[in-house]
Amino acid sequence: MRIKKFLVLSSLIILVLTLSLAFTKGALGHYPLPLPGVRLLASWYLFTTLNPQYPVFTAMSPEAVTAIVWDYRGLDTLFETAVFFLAIVGALALMRGISLKSALNNASNRVGDGGLSLICKTAARLLTPLIIVVSASIALHGHLTPGGGFQGGSAAAVAPLLVLVIFSVYFLLSKGVSEKPMLILRTVGLVGIYLTALAAVLIGLFTGLNAYVFQNQPKPDAPLGLPAQISGALISGSLLFFNVFEYLAVAGGFTLVFILLSIPEEVVKSFIGGETHE
Amino acid sequence: MIELDTLTYLFMALAGVVSLIATYLAVLENDLIRAVIFSALQSTVYAILFYLLMAPDIALVYIPVAVGLYPAVVLFLIKKTERSEGDLGGAGGGSE
Repeated sequence: MRIKKFLVLSSLIILVLTLSLAFTKGALGHYPLPLPGVRLLASWYLFTTLNPQYPVFTAMSPEAVTAIVWDYRGLDTLFETAVFFLAIVGALALMRGISLKSALNNASNRVGDGGLSLICKTAARLLTPLIIVVSASIALHGHLTPGGGFQGGSAAAVAPLLVLVIFSVYFLLSKGVSEKPMLILRTVGLVGIYLTALAAVLIGLFTGLNAYVFQNQPKPDAPLGLPAQISGALISGSLLFFNVFEYLAVAGGFTLVFILLSIPEEVVKSFIGGETHE
Repeated sequence: MIELDTLTYLFMALAGVVSLIATYLAVLENDLIRAVIFSALQSTVYAILFYLLMAPDIALVYIPVAVGLYPAVVLFLIKKTERSEGDLGGAGGGSE
C-alpha cells in the first residue's frame, strides 16, 4: 500500500514537473501559457469563415469552430463519427438477442414501483424537458454560437439517463424509449450525415455540373453548393444539416448504450444460459 | 488592482491543482464509487479549464460527459462487478 502511494504520488509529480518544464521551455511558443490574442492560423480562419467576398474559402458561418469541424475538416469529423458508431455497433453485437420486453411483462417489474424518492422524481419531471430544449438549441444554433451536433446530442442523452436512474429502465421503456426506436433514430442520423455529405454530388449527377463530396458553398470550378441562407435566415449550407443529424445520431446512440448497460444481469444470463431459463 | 489576465491564469492554476488532487485521490481510493466521484470532480474542473482557455465548444461537450455520461457508464459497470477494490489491489483478475 505504501509502495503504491509512493508510486502514484511520484508519477504525478514527475508528470507535473515535465509538463511545466516543457511549457517554460517553449512547447506552446515563447510564452508559458496560451496568449489571449489570436494566432496567424486562427486569424486566417476568422477572416474567411463568414466572408462572401472569398467564395473559395468561406463556409458562411460565424462560428469558426463548427465551420472547421464540418466544412474545412469535414472528413476528419466523418471518421470520428464512424469510430463512435463502431463502438456502439460493438455494444449492440454483445447484447444481441437480449431484450427487456419479457421482463417488462413480469408483475414484479411494475412501472410505478421503485426508483428514488418523490422529490427526485418531481425534480426529474421538471428538468427532463428543459434538458431536451437546451440540447436542441445547442444543436440548432451550432452554426451561429458555440455548440453543435455532438455537444447537443450528448446533452440530450443526459435526459433519458436521468429518467433511467431516478425512475427505472422499465419506466423509460413504457414511455416508448426502447432499443428499437433509438436504433432507428441513430440510423436516421447516420443516413442523414452521409446524404448531406453527398448532397452536392447527387445534385451534380442530375444537372451534369462538377461537384465535390463534402462541398458546402459554391466554388469557382464547382458552381453547385448548398444555400447559405433560407429566406434571410443564415443556415450556413450543410452545417445546419450536419448538426441536426449528428444530434439525432449521438442522442440515439448514447441512449441505446445506456439502455443496454442497464439491463439487469439476471435477464442477460437468462438469455445467454438458454436451458436453465425458466 | 489585479489584471483580468492574471486573475484568469491564477484561476487556471487553482483548477489545475484541484484536478491533480482529485486524480491522486481517485487513483488511491479503494471504494470504486468514491473513486468515480473524485474522477468526475477532476473532469468537471477540466471543463472549467477548457472554458478559461477560450474553448467553449469543448466545454459544452465536456460538461454533460463529465457530470452525466462518464460517471453513469462507470457506475453501471461497477454495479456489474464489486464495489471495493479489495486488499489484493493490483493482483489482477482471472481467479474465479
